[in-house]
Amino acid sequence: MGIARSTHPTRHNLDLTGRLVLAVGAGAAICLIGVPLAMLLFAAFRGPADFLPFEPGAQWTFEHVRALLTDPVIHTRILPDTLVFVAGTVAVGFVMAFGLAWLIERTDLPGREVWFSLILFPLLVPTPVLAIAWIFLMGPNAGWLNLMIRAAFGLEGPGPIDIFSMGGLILCQALASTPFVFLLLTSTLRAMDPALEEASGASGASPLTTFRRVTLPVLLPGLLAPLILVTLITAEQFELPLIIGLPAKINVFSYRIYFELNPLSSLPNYGGAAALSLPFVVLGVLLLLVYNRLIKRADSFVTVTGKGYRQRRLPLGAWRWPALLLASLYVALAAILPAAVLLWTSFFGYALPHSATAGDFSLEGYRALLANRVFWLGLRNTFLVALASALVVTSIGALLGWIISRSQFRIRHLLDFVSVLSVGIPAVIAGLGVMLLYLSVPIGLYGTVGILVIAYSYRFATTTRLARAGFLQIHKELDEASAASGARWLATQRRIMMPLMLPALTAGFILLFIVGMREFTIPLVLYSPDNVVLSVLLWQLFQSGQTAPSAALASIIVAVALPVIFLARRTFARRALAEDSVFRRSGFRFAAENASNKK
Amino acid sequence: MLTVTGLTKSFATADGAVRAVDDVSFTVAEAQCYALLGPSGCGKTTILRCVAGLEQAEQGVIAIGGRVVSDADHFVPVHERSIGMVFQSYAIWPHLDVFDNVAYPLAVARPRVARAEIEQRVMDVLALVGMQAMARRPATRLSGGQQQRVALARAIVRRPSLLLLDEPLSNLDARLRDAMRRELATLIRQIGITALFVTHDQVEALSLADRVAVMDQGRIVQEGAPAEIYDRPKSLFVARFLGAANVLAGKVEERDCQGRARIALGGGHHLVLVTESGSGTAVDVVLRPENLAIAAQPSADAVNAIAGRIVALTFQGSNVEYDVDIGGGTSLRVLARAQADLTRGAPVWIGIDPRYVAVFSGS
Repeated sequence: MGIARSTHPTRHNLDLTGRLVLAVGAGAAICLIGVPLAMLLFAAFRGPADFLPFEPGAQWTFEHVRALLTDPVIHTRILPDTLVFVAGTVAVGFVMAFGLAWLIERTDLPGREVWFSLILFPLLVPTPVLAIAWIFLMGPNAGWLNLMIRAAFGLEGPGPIDIFSMGGLILCQALASTPFVFLLLTSTLRAMDPALEEASGASGASPLTTFRRVTLPVLLPGLLAPLILVTLITAEQFELPLIIGLPAKINVFSYRIYFELNPLSSLPNYGGAAALSLPFVVLGVLLLLVYNRLIKRADSFVTVTGKGYRQRRLPLGAWRWPALLLASLYVALAAILPAAVLLWTSFFGYALPHSATAGDFSLEGYRALLANRVFWLGLRNTFLVALASALVVTSIGALLGWIISRSQFRIRHLLDFVSVLSVGIPAVIAGLGVMLLYLSVPIGLYGTVGILVIAYSYRFATTTRLARAGFLQIHKELDEASAASGARWLATQRRIMMPLMLPALTAGFILLFIVGMREFTIPLVLYSPDNVVLSVLLWQLFQSGQTAPSAALASIIVAVALPVIFLARRTFARRALAEDSVFRRSGFRFAAENASNKK
Repeated sequence: MLTVTGLTKSFATADGAVRAVDDVSFTVAEAQCYALLGPSGCGKTTILRCVAGLEQAEQGVIAIGGRVVSDADHFVPVHERSIGMVFQSYAIWPHLDVFDNVAYPLAVARPRVARAEIEQRVMDVLALVGMQAMARRPATRLSGGQQQRVALARAIVRRPSLLLLDEPLSNLDARLRDAMRRELATLIRQIGITALFVTHDQVEALSLADRVAVMDQGRIVQEGAPAEIYDRPKSLFVARFLGAANVLAGKVEERDCQGRARIALGGGHHLVLVTESGSGTAVDVVLRPENLAIAAQPSADAVNAIAGRIVALTFQGSNVEYDVDIGGGTSLRVLARAQADLTRGAPVWIGIDPRYVAVFSGS
């Protein structure tokens, strides 16, 4: 063995400390994703349904799978609803996102930087905030937009817009998903060499022929990949199906899983929830594999271009006005109006702008909120969990990134796959897995803030990707030079790699912090009075009819989120978001392919 | 044939509009290869893109093969001009293979070209660039040199009146660039096409083109045959841009009625040669390293010889580059064959042929 190893020299003078640190990182990664998933698998085949998988009395059973296959509700309601919801959202959201991305990346639309920031708004505040704002705007009876339309056309209520319908749900989800797709598509459009289109013109092809025969086919893989990803992400959505879909009696898969855990009048059905989750996870992995194939093709299309790259923008001319109208329409519906209606309602309740008097103005909403002990607890918890989970995920991401990009360990393929897997696991299922695990392992974590930190921390695909890209940019000779100067592995990492990696890691940290701030599904699934976070409190207030306090809380969340966003954007976030979308575009390759590409 | 008259184009920048191309006129004769040579940002690429129809000029007339394609009144869009273009990045479409890339200009042509004829012409032109064996190779699997050949094949397959090349060799590594330059020169002569290309590489321009226009800040500063431009640059800018030259400060001391002048250089040296600069003017004297003779003894007939001492030698294979200190803090670079008696520290004589000396009135 010793001889065999010596032909394969250790490249990074990895000493025992180094191996230990890496092992902790790899172990943590596997524990954070693998163990909850394994619990899910056990729970799906252990019964009876209201028993935890390893509770005394639980046995192996196919009961849950059978129940799943024979339940008529699944086939007649949930499956069709989910399909329509996903297909509709993806279609509407994709068209909107492509239009905006194209205008901002490839035309001379005025104020592109401002549009870019505004479009990201829905990505940066918790979805329940948006959901509540949209209900204020498009509620069938008292929604602002409905009142305006009725006044303008002399119609009688309710309607004409009904947010509590499949159409309303799709519109809202599409508005909420657009920024994500937008980021993916801007990087696709940015990566296309305009000389490819110019060469078609110089070959005698008209602009229309060029679009048909060159632009579309070249962009196609870069468009299909985000399409697959957004399909996956939409299927995972839980917030809007809960807040808007439920009152409309729309029943999608992700909500059904939650329902099995919190049935109206019986014990939680762990087995049923777990069985329902399995096809979801399988579907997620399959879509990720398809995505991975497409991305490789898209990348090979990009790398074929060489130097002399110059982005030329299409002059819009008179089309500037319809283009601006389109962008304003999106920004109004997704950012400006929601923020305005929340702020207004927090002060004026249901009194409307055109009929409100000074007497309607009230600080009661804020007073009630600030007097609420739970608000302060939630505020503390929200920051604590977001900070802690961002820290955990950034550390693990850095270690995984190192293993995947720098080491020859076999396990790097597994780790790469595991980090990619986190994208395919819906938050509601991640919450369920963690719940099953820590209900079964009584170490006092369940119901605390700590379990939220653990549950949030399964999303390390992004930081792993950012860290890997960062490591790949740092020439290997820089760490070899450190080793040649006599530095131990850990010293090399601390003195050489860490400073060089700081921008990439900071970007990842900020991104994860924002994700943690907006999290709603996981803290709802794992809710206890002690670990409430602001997004969950918001929903509870809204559910219990406390309109002004909930609007006040939503306004505070937006007010807290905005400076963070602008501050972050100024320094790192543009880079983070850009790299994040680049990672989504060019990422998710498995280590094996990387190794072969590195030559 | 291409004629460009009074072409002007500006770009808006942060500091206001900048004239990228400033009243440029030139003519490329039928079957001639014409190079626009200049540093980056001199406006040469903008001219090429205006000729292609990818940019629209503000003023000026462009006529390709006698047909006006751009003037004050009308503008023929790029796809209706009879051109072929090789892009700097080659712009090979990644979703098509080699054959389909090259066949594209014929496939989109109206009236339609028959399938069999497309097949025939594409294979012919692929044979011309030596790529017939790779007709079905995906574009994503091509090396830089192969991409260049495909780009060239695609540009000439529909037999355009004018071939445009944007820095056609800058994307290749040095060794490949030499080979491709020779190949490209042969090919352009062989098919006898009118060609306009832009480059910042003087070797490329001088070796490929029949005529060269040197550009600086949006204007053509000198135009002529390669040898003419190289040997008789009209300005210090051109002299410097066309190759590593020795530039010495001097002063015209006296000048006779035939124009023969005696120029004092630093270090007490003198040159005698024919110049238009008047007596008393400060001048810049440009001496090309390869036009200088170097010997251990002064040759008998040398009118202009400067004594010096070798301070450094750089062996370059066929030649040696000598650094010769000629006193007064000045040194001259000389490119010559290796000679046994020329070693470091050896006293030498540098012989200067007045025919290869360029003199410019100094600043």
